[in-house]
Amino acid sequence: MLDVRSILSILASNIKATGLPVPAPREALYSWSEGLSIPKDGDTLLYTGGLYQLLPYIEVYSSQLAKLEDKRSGGLLLRAAGRFSSLSRIAGAIVRPSKREVEESKRILQSIVRLLDAAGVRVAYRREVDGYSGVLLYDMGLDDDFKKHFAQVARSLAQTGARTIVTVDPHTTHVLRSVARRLGLLPELEVKTYLELLAENIDNINFKKGRAGTAAIHDSCLYARRENVIAQPRLLLERAGYQILEPRRSGRLTYCCGGPIESIAPKLSSRIALARIGELADTGAERIATMCPICLANLKRASRTAGGPPVVDLSLLLAERLEA
Amino acid sequence: MSGPNTIDRLRTWISETAGRCIYCGFCESVCPTRPLGPHRGYGPRGRVAMARLVAEGVTPLSNTVVESVYTCLLCAACETKCPVGLPIADIIRAARRLYTLEAGFSAREEKGRVPAIARR
Amino acid sequence: MADAIRKLVRRLGPRKVSTDQALVALYAREPSGLQGRAWAVVFPESEDDVRVIARTAYETDTPIYPQGSATSLSGNAVPENGIVVSFERMNRILEVNIIDGNVVVEPGVRLDDLNTVLEREGYMFPVDPASSAVATVGGAINNGAGGLRGAKYGTMREWVLGVNIVLADSEGTLLRLGCRTVKCRQGYDLTRLIVGSEGTLGLVTRAILRIAPLPEDTVYALAFFPGLDSLMGAFTALRRSRINPFMLEFMDSKTVEYASRHLDLPYTPKGDMLLVGIEVNREAAQRVLKDLENLLADHGAERIITAHGVEEARRKHLFTVRKNLFAGQAGLTLDRAGPGRRIRVMIEDIVVPPSRVPEAVKRIRELESKYGLTVFLGGHIGDGNLHPAVGIVEGVDDPQVVEEWFKDVMRIAVQLGGTVSAEHGIGLLKKEGLRYDLESRGSLKALSLMAEIKRVFDPKGLLNPGKLV
Ligand SMILES: Cc1cc2nc3c(=O)[nH]c(=O)nc-3n(C[C@H](O)[C@H](O)[C@H](O)COP(=O)(O)OP(=O)(O)OC[C@H]3O[C@@H](n4cnc5c(N)ncnc54)[C@H](O)[C@@H]3O)c2cc1C
Ligand code: SF4
Ligand code: SF4
Repeated sequence: MLDVRSILSILASNIKATGLPVPAPREALYSWSEGLSIPKDGDTLLYTGGLYQLLPYIEVYSSQLAKLEDKRSGGLLLRAAGRFSSLSRIAGAIVRPSKREVEESKRILQSIVRLLDAAGVRVAYRREVDGYSGVLLYDMGLDDDFKKHFAQVARSLAQTGARTIVTVDPHTTHVLRSVARRLGLLPELEVKTYLELLAENIDNINFKKGRAGTAAIHDSCLYARRENVIAQPRLLLERAGYQILEPRRSGRLTYCCGGPIESIAPKLSSRIALARIGELADTGAERIATMCPICLANLKRASRTAGGPPVVDLSLLLAERLEA
Repeated sequence: MSGPNTIDRLRTWISETAGRCIYCGFCESVCPTRPLGPHRGYGPRGRVAMARLVAEGVTPLSNTVVESVYTCLLCAACETKCPVGLPIADIIRAARRLYTLEAGFSAREEKGRVPAIARR
Repeated sequence: MADAIRKLVRRLGPRKVSTDQALVALYAREPSGLQGRAWAVVFPESEDDVRVIARTAYETDTPIYPQGSATSLSGNAVPENGIVVSFERMNRILEVNIIDGNVVVEPGVRLDDLNTVLEREGYMFPVDPASSAVATVGGAINNGAGGLRGAKYGTMREWVLGVNIVLADSEGTLLRLGCRTVKCRQGYDLTRLIVGSEGTLGLVTRAILRIAPLPEDTVYALAFFPGLDSLMGAFTALRRSRINPFMLEFMDSKTVEYASRHLDLPYTPKGDMLLVGIEVNREAAQRVLKDLENLLADHGAERIITAHGVEEARRKHLFTVRKNLFAGQAGLTLDRAGPGRRIRVMIEDIVVPPSRVPEAVKRIRELESKYGLTVFLGGHIGDGNLHPAVGIVEGVDDPQVVEEWFKDVMRIAVQLGGTVSAEHGIGLLKKEGLRYDLESRGSLKALSLMAEIKRVFDPKGLLNPGKLV
């Protein structure tokens, strides 16, 4: 368990200074879209929320924090880090993420756009509007900071004139659709995940014929218990030719990947991930399908440790099966 | 945005909502942090009870309490088992908010000069 | 006190002892609403740790309150100045012996977790209190717990083959009692004595439990009757037909009405309710289900909902009303209390011979008007176990009235040839009832025998003091 106060302090000051929870260059958010011809205007706007793109950075960050957990002086060091976080950021202490992971996150977002396109859903994308939803501030109980941050997100979304916002991960979806609504911060926009849009338009999608192997499904807690996204990923995988294997706990009763406390209690977090990988591997599936960047990162790491099957984002599994 | 009124209202909300807990422990059966954590404070029943104790001023916002509410995943598995339908994750989040407010904590104080945890 | 804690910290290490008040408070409560006090919580991780705790407690005259998940309902697990010993970290399943039909487990294993492991082998541990999701082996043994399958499988005392216990003496003596076999004559049956002893005789550190094969298939029926007589008619006919349901649950019409207030059900919950579950061979499932439906209809059931297999039963909400008994009473009381007021729910646990259930129900209903209380009334009719429950709003309801009611209910049980507790135990709330029961059998001497036994096991009276005897 790490010093909560320092973690909160680092988080809040990072977001305040750059709009992002960890130090990362802004282009990290949109470089995936380079070279793609996505219109800038339209009724339906893609808002990634940045989690997929930031995860490689968060990973390095957390692994540094995790090292502190073992040390006696961890609390102190962290406190120092908290105090100087703005300094170190200005000094260009942006962490160097793994190139492979950055590439993977790009491929995931590109696949999502390809899939939406294949389903006949036309989305617009604006790099200057895309950003971070502030979900961690909300989760950590920094409500005032969250509200301030989100007000800006809401303003820029409203200015685009879009009527539907398309999200790609459960945390951003939950914040935009449920939290913001409850707080009256995003009154008029409709929010849908790409999974819902794909499922609604599934008959348009041209998947390859034949079998695609087995996949164990790992439901996201927020999708399954808050946003009622349970049937869609199954429908999509099935139509794409996968045989779905359900772990012992799935659907509404799904079991968390441990990711949300990765930066606060890294050891506990990884024990939870290992427990979950055990359940998923018990299905005997060739691959494990996730639909959240946090689940992806946490379970991937655990599966490596435990020698389990590969963990793959749902979008990649689906895109793999698109007719060329 | 957050004057003393906010804190009072937050305390009342936590006290009333968490006060509906009948302490049956059913929620603990599905909580990922409960069996892997060191004690009952790492489960929903303990977190809800601590939130209430703190909100009612019975116990201070000690490290134990902070640890308990900040190791929650907010995964809401517990809520699928609660026979009285408590919004457990919301209660825990409210306890976090109480902590950030009580500790006078916010991004404004990023210089790191944050006052000691308010002990009541 | 300080001395005891210092010694425990030194001997066990700081990770296993906590005096943090916020934490200790979590171990000083029960679902009944009873609240106690303790100085510290200790978390043994091995049999040796438990011996150290027992020895240290003896040395320092420190009361010990053993605890599993603290889901007791009669004050059994509530401490009062002393240390709580929580067995949650001793939660390993040590052996699963399918051929011998037993498992060896540590006391902190939760019953449902044990069953998750056994299911893979096609087996089960059949004692399933409604709290089985969290109830531990140690707690279930010490409470002599029963459950929904009680009609066929009985209670813990049929399923515990042996226990290891640590005594609160100068050595922290470890005893290995019982056998790995069903047949076992080892002098006086001390294993049985530990079952239901509520932590007053020894600290259970390990148990050998019998297991049973999972049934090949199950069928269920939920039936609503226009009155208790017709329901009893169906019950008697079931018994005579030599069907041996593993589940036979009952709720009277008024309770059905209360408990389903806020439930969204695919059927109309109205009338006296009977829930039947039968284990069958796969080939016989449809036939048995048809016979069951006919039998219930012949005896006047107005609405019958059937299900083949537990999944379908869940999907059709066959168990929902029955499961809402405790929460329903709590919800009703909370609504009455409004915000900010504390509540307690008093759950009775009487048992009468099944044939006397209608009379018991009638008399309990009469009490309701006598005391002006809202009583939830359901139970395991298959073994005659009834759980009338009332809620108390602190500062509004007169606890004395409820206590009087509680006693009257126990009197009814004893007068009808039953007793005051079937599965929840004596704890704090039933001590007077126990005395009354033994007295009315002319066997008050048994109470002093029990006190003697307690003294032999626990000479300083340190184990869960104030409970049971
Ligand atoms: C909603 C609800 C429904 C319930 N339904 C049922 C039911 O259907 N049937 C039923 O029988 N009970 C029921 N109960 C009561 C209770 O849950 C059970 O008796 C359960 O078995 C207790 O387990 P526990 O782990 O919580 O034990 P605890 O409550 O922690 O302890 C029970 C007793 O055992 C002692 N003890 C615990 N562990 C040890 C040990 N290792 N060594 C020595 N002593 C020990 C304690 O001191 C205490 O006296 C219900 C409770 C609730 C809240
Ligand atoms: S939301 Fe928190 S308390 Fe509830 S199950 Fe998840 S981790 Fe446990
Ligand atoms: S399930 Fe609900 S009522 Fe029971 S202990 Fe957990 S929060 Fe309290």
